[in-house]
Amino acid sequence: MISENMNTLGIIFPNSYDAMVPELVKVRLMASIPFASRYRLIDFTLSSMANCNIDNICVMVNNNYHSLMDHLGSGREWDLARKNGGLHIYPPFAQKNAKPYNGRVEALASLLNFLRDQKEKYVIITDTNIVANFDYHAMIKAHIESGADITAAYNEQELPESILNSHSNDKGFYYTFDVKENRITKIYVNPKEPGVQNFSMNMYLIGRELLISLIDEAFIHGQQYFERDVLLPQVNKLNIQGYKYDGYVARITDTKSYFDENMKLLDDYNLDALFSGNPIYTKIRDDNPTRYIEGAKVQNVMVADGCIIEGEVENSILFRGVTIAKGAKVKNCILMQGTAVESGADIEYLITDKDVTVTAGKEMKGTDSYPIYIGKSQKI
Amino acid sequence: MAKEMIAMLLAGGQGSRLYALTEKLAKPAVPFGGKYRIIDFPLSNCVNSGIDTVGILTQYQPLVLNEYIGNGQPWDLDRLYGGVHVLPPYQKASGSDWYKGTANAIYQNISFIERYDPKYVIILSGDQICKQDYSDFLKFHKEKEAEFSVAVMEVPWDEASRFGLMVADENDKITEFQEKPKNPKSNLASMGIYIFNWDILKKYLEDDEANPDSENDFGNNIIPNLLSDNRKMYAYHFDGYWKDVGTISSLWEANMEVLDPEHSGINLFDEDWKIYSRNSGMTGHKISAGAVVENSMLTDGCRIKGTVKHSVLFSGVKVEKGAVVEDAVVMGGTVIKEGAVVKHCIIAENVTIGENAIVGAMPTETEKGVATIGANITIGDNAKIGPNAMVRKNVEGGEEQ
Repeated sequence: MISENMNTLGIIFPNSYDAMVPELVKVRLMASIPFASRYRLIDFTLSSMANCNIDNICVMVNNNYHSLMDHLGSGREWDLARKNGGLHIYPPFAQKNAKPYNGRVEALASLLNFLRDQKEKYVIITDTNIVANFDYHAMIKAHIESGADITAAYNEQELPESILNSHSNDKGFYYTFDVKENRITKIYVNPKEPGVQNFSMNMYLIGRELLISLIDEAFIHGQQYFERDVLLPQVNKLNIQGYKYDGYVARITDTKSYFDENMKLLDDYNLDALFSGNPIYTKIRDDNPTRYIEGAKVQNVMVADGCIIEGEVENSILFRGVTIAKGAKVKNCILMQGTAVESGADIEYLITDKDVTVTAGKEMKGTDSYPIYIGKSQKI
Repeated sequence: MAKEMIAMLLAGGQGSRLYALTEKLAKPAVPFGGKYRIIDFPLSNCVNSGIDTVGILTQYQPLVLNEYIGNGQPWDLDRLYGGVHVLPPYQKASGSDWYKGTANAIYQNISFIERYDPKYVIILSGDQICKQDYSDFLKFHKEKEAEFSVAVMEVPWDEASRFGLMVADENDKITEFQEKPKNPKSNLASMGIYIFNWDILKKYLEDDEANPDSENDFGNNIIPNLLSDNRKMYAYHFDGYWKDVGTISSLWEANMEVLDPEHSGINLFDEDWKIYSRNSGMTGHKISAGAVVENSMLTDGCRIKGTVKHSVLFSGVKVEKGAVVEDAVVMGGTVIKEGAVVKHCIIAENVTIGENAIVGAMPTETEKGVATIGANITIGDNAKIGPNAMVRKNVEGGEEQ
């Protein structure tokens, strides 16, 4: 292989942390949540992998995955429709007593036969709730140079409030690391420490053979979670290297952070930080360009193609095919694909899901700290 | 398996009247309407009409066009049997030739057409903006039991003498063809879109090739020959939007008409008749606080900090603070720097307009020129480009043209 990256296989868990954004995943899963006016969360992971020549990718869907299947198709938009490798979508194997996966161990156990047959030397496993234009190439290089068994990506940030304030563990596990001279010496599960932490990005690079043996062993012992049950107890036995990621990270941990992370992209500095690297691909809809009709007033907005704008829009993110009628006012909103705001409507701090209609003259306002979410195809 | 109808798209024209815009580009590859190229229209029409096999005849500056077409996937024309094929002139055992004329281009590709054994062949032109259902045209052709049909548009009588005209009887049967006549007998202008029965087309192409005096052109040779043989020829009336964008002013005008679909009739917002194109893949466009955008079209990757009025901007165009863009067509990747004023003009791809430079001017009674800047050109700071300028080379700061 010309490039070491082509020796790496990708495994994506698109349902991870669904429980953190219950409204947004009602008709979909984390990976297919729309983001940044024309993308879905998984586009960032898939594009990052494809841009680093990782072109043998498994998507371990668990439930609510119709929208994701529709989005991914054959994987062609990410250059992943291939004879060798390409995109594989793995739902739970339907058999008697079949049920959705709980943790990564169960999911990976069902993939062991596939993994044994592959040729790649390394495997990268990741979730989709973190938006980054990630350079896997650099991580693979660091992994090889350090001679680690496993390399774990993390960034330095404070734990989000939604996590700190949570009184139960029902939204899933999250991890922080103690890192000494790049080596991870301790893994914390659902810590409540304030201040900046080495916050795990749940992204691991590991030798394929090692992964197979770890999962085989863990599954036999009825273990479920890769980090909690496999890595944590063996943190001194395995050489787990930390890989600090300094690039732009948007982490979706609840509906509020989803709102904030979208809005942050209205700042050119953040937008460039996320998009100035390699291109991010998405499903093409072949919309016409967006049309601003006489009388439209727009300030500080990010807008996809296919919109028709006749009213006033300020500090908002508009997805494809949104229409804003004459006299309508939209401020601090995220309007997903196909949202129609009729004449004279006045909305603030709203997240409208796909194909929502805000009827003529309707006034509805959320607040900065609590944006109102309107479900798919609702009419208000 | 035989195909009902395949399309042959004439895309070899130089488009010399587009001057700087077609210096390195075949005319069908000229960008149009914010995110399209001219050829997207016939190709999308084909696929929307159910034609899955298209031969594209190229000759002049084909590189950009070839790369753009690629395997045809953006138009859903990547097919196992058929699909889109780019057909340049090629060397044969008996020698090689450039395409001598429109008819000769098809003649040289008879063996391509025969691979699909079609009943009908539609000849399309790669330099028109038109949304047309070719299946309706074919239906007409079959109903009339025609051997040849041509799509025609009614044009105003006082302009008729600029066109190739079809004189037809009450049954739409063509009785006479007039090429740009002084005294028009009809106002039915040929759109240059023909349906032939394949056996007839093949016969006339071969006969035409055998005639050394022929110009090998459909309008000048093939159609007159069909007429003199009393073939069954019919005129199909088309009344949708159609525009030949062969000149700078007509290209500018057609782009402006996109901004006013209610009156011009070119509606790109048609879910049932999408125009497909190769997408830029850029992120959504951004309009900053303090910017003004009125009556315009923007697409992915645009960043607007200045003023944009009544203009069409292509992907990735940047308009910096204090810059003014009005009545302009600005193609992909162009940057308009702080304080520059750009009016009533066409600016091609990847141009840089320097700070406080002035390009073009709003039309007056006597001066209606559309200033044009070719691709990859830099206009220096404070430079001034007049309304009739055709810029093919970099312009230094402060210079006037």
